[in-house]
Amino acid sequence: MSLRRFVQRKKKDADLAEEIESHLAHEQEANIARGLSAEQARRQARLKFGNPESVRDRVWRDRSFPWIEDGWRDLRFALRSLANVPGFTAIAVLVIAVGIGANTAVFSVINTVLLKPLTYPEPQSLVQLMNTAPQGTFPGANVPKFNIWNQQSSIFQYVAGYDQGGAGLNLTGGNDPEQVQGIHVTVDYFRLFGAPILAGRTFSSAEDSPHGGNVVVLSYALWKRRFGGNPKIVGTNIHLDGQPYLVVGVIGRDFVTEPTGDLWLPFQFDLTSQDMAHYFVVAARLRPGITPQKANAQLKLAADQFRRTYPGGLGPQGGFGVTSLQDVMVGDTRTSLLVLLGAVTFVLLIACANVANLLLIRATARKRELATRSALGAGRGHIIRQLLTESLVISLTGGFLGLILGMVGVRLLLAVSSGSIPRVGEDGSAVTLDLNVLFFTFGVSVLTGILFGVLPAISASRNNLAAALNESNNRSGVGFRSGKIRSLLVISEMALALVLVVGAALLIRTFINLQAVDPGFDTHTIVTMAMSISADRFQNTAGVAQVIRDGTQRVNTVPGVTTTAAACCLPLQGGFGLPFDIVGRPSGDNPSTGGGGYFPVSWAYFEAFKVPILHGRNFTEHDDGGAPGVVIINEAMAKQYWPNGDPLSDRLVIGANMGPVFVEPPRQIIGVVGNMRDGGLSRDPAPTMYIPVAQMPDRVTALNSRIAPLWWIVRTRVEPHTVIRSVSTALREASGGLPVAHIRTMDEIVIVTTSRERFNMLLLTIFGSSALLMAAIGIYGLMAYSVQQRTQELGIRMALGAQASNIRNMVIRQGMVLAIIGVVVGIGGALWLTRFLASFLFGVKALDPTAFLATPVLLTAVAFLAVWIPAWRATRVSPMTALRFE
Amino acid sequence: MVLPAGIRVRHATVVRKTMALKETSAAGDIFQGTLDMLILRTLVMGRAHGHTIAQVIEHTSEKALEIEQGSLYPALHRLEDRGLLASEWGTSENNRKAKFYQITAKGHRHLTRQTNRWRHMTRAIGLILGQSAD
Repeated sequence: MSLRRFVQRKKKDADLAEEIESHLAHEQEANIARGLSAEQARRQARLKFGNPESVRDRVWRDRSFPWIEDGWRDLRFALRSLANVPGFTAIAVLVIAVGIGANTAVFSVINTVLLKPLTYPEPQSLVQLMNTAPQGTFPGANVPKFNIWNQQSSIFQYVAGYDQGGAGLNLTGGNDPEQVQGIHVTVDYFRLFGAPILAGRTFSSAEDSPHGGNVVVLSYALWKRRFGGNPKIVGTNIHLDGQPYLVVGVIGRDFVTEPTGDLWLPFQFDLTSQDMAHYFVVAARLRPGITPQKANAQLKLAADQFRRTYPGGLGPQGGFGVTSLQDVMVGDTRTSLLVLLGAVTFVLLIACANVANLLLIRATARKRELATRSALGAGRGHIIRQLLTESLVISLTGGFLGLILGMVGVRLLLAVSSGSIPRVGEDGSAVTLDLNVLFFTFGVSVLTGILFGVLPAISASRNNLAAALNESNNRSGVGFRSGKIRSLLVISEMALALVLVVGAALLIRTFINLQAVDPGFDTHTIVTMAMSISADRFQNTAGVAQVIRDGTQRVNTVPGVTTTAAACCLPLQGGFGLPFDIVGRPSGDNPSTGGGGYFPVSWAYFEAFKVPILHGRNFTEHDDGGAPGVVIINEAMAKQYWPNGDPLSDRLVIGANMGPVFVEPPRQIIGVVGNMRDGGLSRDPAPTMYIPVAQMPDRVTALNSRIAPLWWIVRTRVEPHTVIRSVSTALREASGGLPVAHIRTMDEIVIVTTSRERFNMLLLTIFGSSALLMAAIGIYGLMAYSVQQRTQELGIRMALGAQASNIRNMVIRQGMVLAIIGVVVGIGGALWLTRFLASFLFGVKALDPTAFLATPVLLTAVAFLAVWIPAWRATRVSPMTALRFE
Repeated sequence: MVLPAGIRVRHATVVRKTMALKETSAAGDIFQGTLDMLILRTLVMGRAHGHTIAQVIEHTSEKALEIEQGSLYPALHRLEDRGLLASEWGTSENNRKAKFYQITAKGHRHLTRQTNRWRHMTRAIGLILGQSAD
């Protein structure tokens, strides 16, 4: 049979109808010729011909594909049959929609973060250069490292250094100065990433060398926003921190960086620099045919060479390596997303079990219908196909709704996660509905439909014909086999729900623990803001000290402000680290050298944060460039390096072996302060050194000004948001017109630093509670149904003298056996599965006894409630009504 | 003798339809082949429309094979779909519009093959039933 005939069959059918008419006319005429009356002739002709309809039907079918016809018929039948039970259909569709919606939401994030390749050409050959050490790998580079990596031309096609937008720049000129993110890059950066050039060109090698002049490349967004897309911008000057910069090019719209950059500037490295501090990162493009393994082998040699050239520049166990750029960008989000995917899969499985149960119940109610059809000749395969079509109608409708739910849900999700997930763009704008997501949702819908449909369909088709037809009604007991399947489904629902709830409990405990962590300072009524100090006058310490003095004085006069301080960095956000030597301490005793956090701060820093001075004294305004060098250490450092001694009698050499930039005379330890959580709430306080900004070596200041803005910390006695406007005005006046950006209260920063944990906790709690709810509905549904089915039996029991309490206990016992089996199985599963959560936990073990005790109790209680209602209803059965039920 | 007519009701339930189709097609194979052969044989003498074909089959068999005329048409259309027949609309002896069928070269070959098979088979059946091979 050909498709052409199939398609043409309407026309052919009309043809045949005409042909039949012609035949009948001929026969009629022949009959008339034999002497019959017209009426008789016509009748005889028809009799002889048989049923024209049936002839047409036969020819029609000869020309069709049975499976299309059958599929279409099954579909129409399914729609009709589902429309007959709108309540059932609505619940089933809704349950599936929620399950698929959750999966779609999580998958669309995974799709964007993990699956979509980076937007650069041939992204698989892009790698980031890493430092390897026994405790892990970390990015970060200095000029000597950059040089040696750049020399590995046998493995790298391009090597480029760039920073993450660090300090920010002030776009001046015009009335409205603005802080922008300027990414410093080396000359091969644009070639490495294959950046599309919209206008002009990128930097030349000459421009990327010291004294290469002030040149800048603009991003598409900044060019459009700030310069109105001026086509003649290339060749003109814009002003950054009051200095003219020549615009040499504009980059195309599709070039995405993480984090987003507004403009690019050449690094203009002095390639002879010996600075060992890490202040940028390096990426490379592997030559064709070079695998990361080959590159790593080559870099091992490079590391040895580096160690010989710069003794002390690399630890004895340290080395170099490459990591795929995509992996670097995704970071540990991968595990987190995969755990979430696992969780939503569980939710979907529970949803499936629930709907399967509904279908089983419905199949029992349809027993006679199915039996009738099979008596009329429907094969078992046909009945299964028919029932599966109904399941697919439910799952695809649910899938479609789920797609909508999921896309709405993912927006809400990303709104909550605020910036804790890489690659999702501004407020998750990069997470979009694409073919991958559509295919995923469609595939999951079909799979779901088969998954929850196949068991009920098979079990329903296994009907005993005679028994079903002879039943006077459909109220006899639940068939043994489908009863068993239903129990199994309920058990799995309970087990899956238990695993999810245990996971949620662990994450909730983690979050509570985090909330309970004392950050070491008072986070309330503090507002912070960043000022870019990229201008020339901030390239030496005196300039920065001056702006801090002026700013502090000015802001302190703002009504509502109590204390003003400035620093390189904010607590909880991480900062710099430097090695130190304790002067005069003989080696072999307590450790004489170590590493610790390095925080240049203004004198009022501890006062603003209300950090207690435990020993010695605080900084004063007079600890400036003219005074002897001082340093304050935190309690963690004092405990680790002076377990019994007195740190206040010792001096520190900070930045030893870090190159000439950091060379400075030893500093006297003048005080010990309480620990602040500088690396985030979940990190134990590390040894940390605080030094007065006014006492930094000039060259360190220059380096700092380049990679980090100056943070202002303003403690208020009023609600901190109310002073923002006057504080920024005061700072602008005090600094000669510098704008401030990234204005946030410290409380907001605390929220941001825990946003990943909040995100995980919220999601798993949502998933866990929906799982619990569905499992409860599942067990309730099963018991309620079984009570209803057994009305007659219960009636007889009661008529024979069973007490209400006997009946109730019997139902409760039956339900709770299932629930408890499910809980036990679930505990087993959770014991194995929670290990995948280990890296997200804080202050709680993956096998936390509280979670593992409380959750089963909670689930059992919920199950009891769900079972109790039908049990109570069972005792209300009146024997007379029950017996008259027939 | 009733040739395959089909015991179908157009609006029977979904299930019954398929089943009925299966049964007739299984049982009807021999007869269908026979009807095909008769149609082709009739058309060897020249082109004809459906009514003529029915009458020829009826008369030449001395009314021994009285077919339900309608069942001719599925066979005609099937043969045409298989390329054994060709058809065109024309005007009949009664001056009516009618669809005329004509045997194709492929149809001729098919007929020869089938006739030979039929002869072999009837001979064999005759032998078994103990008739003299006359």
